[in-house]
Amino acid sequence: MLVSKEDFAKYPFIIGAVDYVKRLDLKTDELSQPEFSAIVTRAEARIEEALLDGIIKWESRLGYDIELLSYPVAIIFVSNIADNYLKKRYALAESKRIQALLKEDVDEKLTEIAISIFGWKVKRLPLEIYQPFDFSLSFIDYLRNAPNFHDFRWKLVNKHLINGEVFLQKDEFSRLISEEVRKHIENTINTSPKVELNPLLLQRIEHIKQRLNIRKERIRIKEQPRNIISAAYPPCIKNLYDYLISGQHISHVGRFTLTSFLLNAGMKIEKLIKLYTPISDFNQRLTRYQVEHIAGVRGSGTKYTPPSCETLKTHRLCPGPDELCSRIKHPLAYYRRKIRMIKK
Amino acid sequence: MKNPRKFIIQKFTEYYRDNANKIPLPTSYKKREFGFILSDKGIMLRHKAFSEPRFFRDFIKLITPSDVYHSAAYYKHPSREMGKKEWIGADLIFDIDFDHISTPCTEEHEYWTCELCDQAGVGKQPSVCSQCGGSKFKMVAWLCETCLETAKSEALKLIEFLVNDFGFPPQDVEVCFSGHRGYHIHVERDEIKQLDQDARKEIVDYVQGTGLKVSLHGLMPVSRKTGQKIIGPDLNDPGWSGKIARGVYDIIVTYNLQQLKEINGINKNIASLIFLQREKILKTWNTGNPWGSIKGIGIKTWEKLVEISVVNQAVSIDTVVTIDIHRLIRMPLTLHGKTGLKVVSIPSKSLERFDPLRDAVAFNEGTLKVYILAAHRFRIGKEIYGPYERETVKLPMAAAIYLLCKRAALLTD
Ligand code: SF4
Ligand SMILES: [Zn+2]
Ligand SMILES: [Zn+2]
Repeated sequence: MLVSKEDFAKYPFIIGAVDYVKRLDLKTDELSQPEFSAIVTRAEARIEEALLDGIIKWESRLGYDIELLSYPVAIIFVSNIADNYLKKRYALAESKRIQALLKEDVDEKLTEIAISIFGWKVKRLPLEIYQPFDFSLSFIDYLRNAPNFHDFRWKLVNKHLINGEVFLQKDEFSRLISEEVRKHIENTINTSPKVELNPLLLQRIEHIKQRLNIRKERIRIKEQPRNIISAAYPPCIKNLYDYLISGQHISHVGRFTLTSFLLNAGMKIEKLIKLYTPISDFNQRLTRYQVEHIAGVRGSGTKYTPPSCETLKTHRLCPGPDELCSRIKHPLAYYRRKIRMIKK
Repeated sequence: MKNPRKFIIQKFTEYYRDNANKIPLPTSYKKREFGFILSDKGIMLRHKAFSEPRFFRDFIKLITPSDVYHSAAYYKHPSREMGKKEWIGADLIFDIDFDHISTPCTEEHEYWTCELCDQAGVGKQPSVCSQCGGSKFKMVAWLCETCLETAKSEALKLIEFLVNDFGFPPQDVEVCFSGHRGYHIHVERDEIKQLDQDARKEIVDYVQGTGLKVSLHGLMPVSRKTGQKIIGPDLNDPGWSGKIARGVYDIIVTYNLQQLKEINGINKNIASLIFLQREKILKTWNTGNPWGSIKGIGIKTWEKLVEISVVNQAVSIDTVVTIDIHRLIRMPLTLHGKTGLKVVSIPSKSLERFDPLRDAVAFNEGTLKVYILAAHRFRIGKEIYGPYERETVKLPMAAAIYLLCKRAALLTD
């Protein structure tokens, strides 16, 4: 069903598309040749769109081949730059493009992607009987992604759940697939083998890096309070912070850790709420409630501290300690020591 | 008087000597962590793992634990410390305990023991102990029939959720009487093992009706040409939508005028209106739109009724247990240190007929003379005992051990 070149260009992560690209057997060396320059330019544009707009455009005018081939090239670039923020932002922007396309595509293509790529259990529903629902998805597959969307509409308790299946409308189902796609792309970036790039391509990469740095600097100025020294964050907090500003899902414990850390480091409640809210689905009222609770202005009145390294390790929030980590047992201890080291 | 604790340990040792070989080990037991509470010290021994059932059985025969647990989780290295176990997955578990359910019978099960001496009594704790003058007491949960029944009906409700809404085959839903105040429900299926904490939280919220928004279930005012009209879910709708409709229907059928008037947030006149018009409302439930059938019953009133129907139909569980993916749970056929009853696994279809105070009795033989400090009425098997106060009584072994475990009785010489 998903066999046309148009499909491949739209959904370049599907098996057919990946095989098609493989069969062309392009070498990265060849990419600097003039006949491929359109592809490389489009790859660069993809990344730029991700950085600036947060969504990548569907450029069918350039021809399906360019659109399709620019995707793996962009992945090579992003993985070569190896910046966490960029990786996440890129994957998110691709997934948004795909979400928009899925919503307009025929139902069968959605189910085919869900079943053949992700192994989901999903059925199309005969419209006349189940109006307004279009699909029924196993609740297990539903829960893989829905809890990441912080809105009551996505809570399982507000869905029609019968016999293990969640009834969904097409736009909801597209959103769920695109979230899985986002994770898939992130994984592709993280596992893609390191390739040597020739000077011409490296030049392109340098250019992207500059854009990236401008972008990151702008975020820092906008969202970062001055008295908090982000260079002194321990690796675990750095990671969570990157997740947050690139709009990624953070688990409950992760959110608690980050929030309590930043509060203890002196960030103001209002700042912190602002940091959370511009992002995707964070619900302003819920966020305020949670932040204020952790700050101790609500409920029990205790101000919380982040969990210890040991606890963070059991929750898999420790990305692997660095040298300073081995001398401390708590992320706040890391932070205080590091500040002293920086100030010296 | 002899030390009752030593006596209990001796009886537990006998039990394990005769029964350890019948204790079934959980599936994939090699990947699970086991935990034991040591009878003499009362401390928890964790991070044990066994490569063969007989090692496990020899071990409990050797140490006579007061309580035995295994993890709902599977690990690559179950015997290592927490951070190094490498979690592989976990079963889905629920804990229903009448600690978390409010029942109207507190008076029948309140009980205290003094922390400094062996004094004990029924009812609210005194301010000072009449025997030693101490002022620290422990509240003890007495096994009360009303509470046990409530816990059971909660368990039955939960099973309905798991089978009808979540689609688990009934044979994969295992129910266990905990040996004390409640039930554990345990779902063991490959597809749920990987669920993370956020996903489990969603399941918890579902069975508890937490975060439910009525408008997302279709109850809302809509504008029509003829003016505003309220619409809402149908009795046959799936999931919570149908539960809401059926729950409100039940309220209208069963509540009398007084009960309706007592609902907080519903105006007394509107309560009377609902009562007077109930026939009409109920009739439209089969034919038309009950939510919009009576002028004067507005959206706020319906929302109030829905709120009550959600509470009536939700299940009270200990949320932490389900969300915690490293949790330990009790093992069937092991003893509960606070009662001397055994943990019993019950096929979900037989739960209705299960009688914990008969079917979980572990010590069926012999009698024992004990001096009872104080005791509420209680039942073991068919017999009802008590209430007692400061008297020496000869009791069947299970009843005597129950009182000893509760620290409500002492041994006589
Ligand atoms: S060792 Fe502690 S401070 Fe360092 S990254 Fe891990 S959790 Fe964070
Ligand atoms: Zn005392
Ligand atoms: Zn009771």
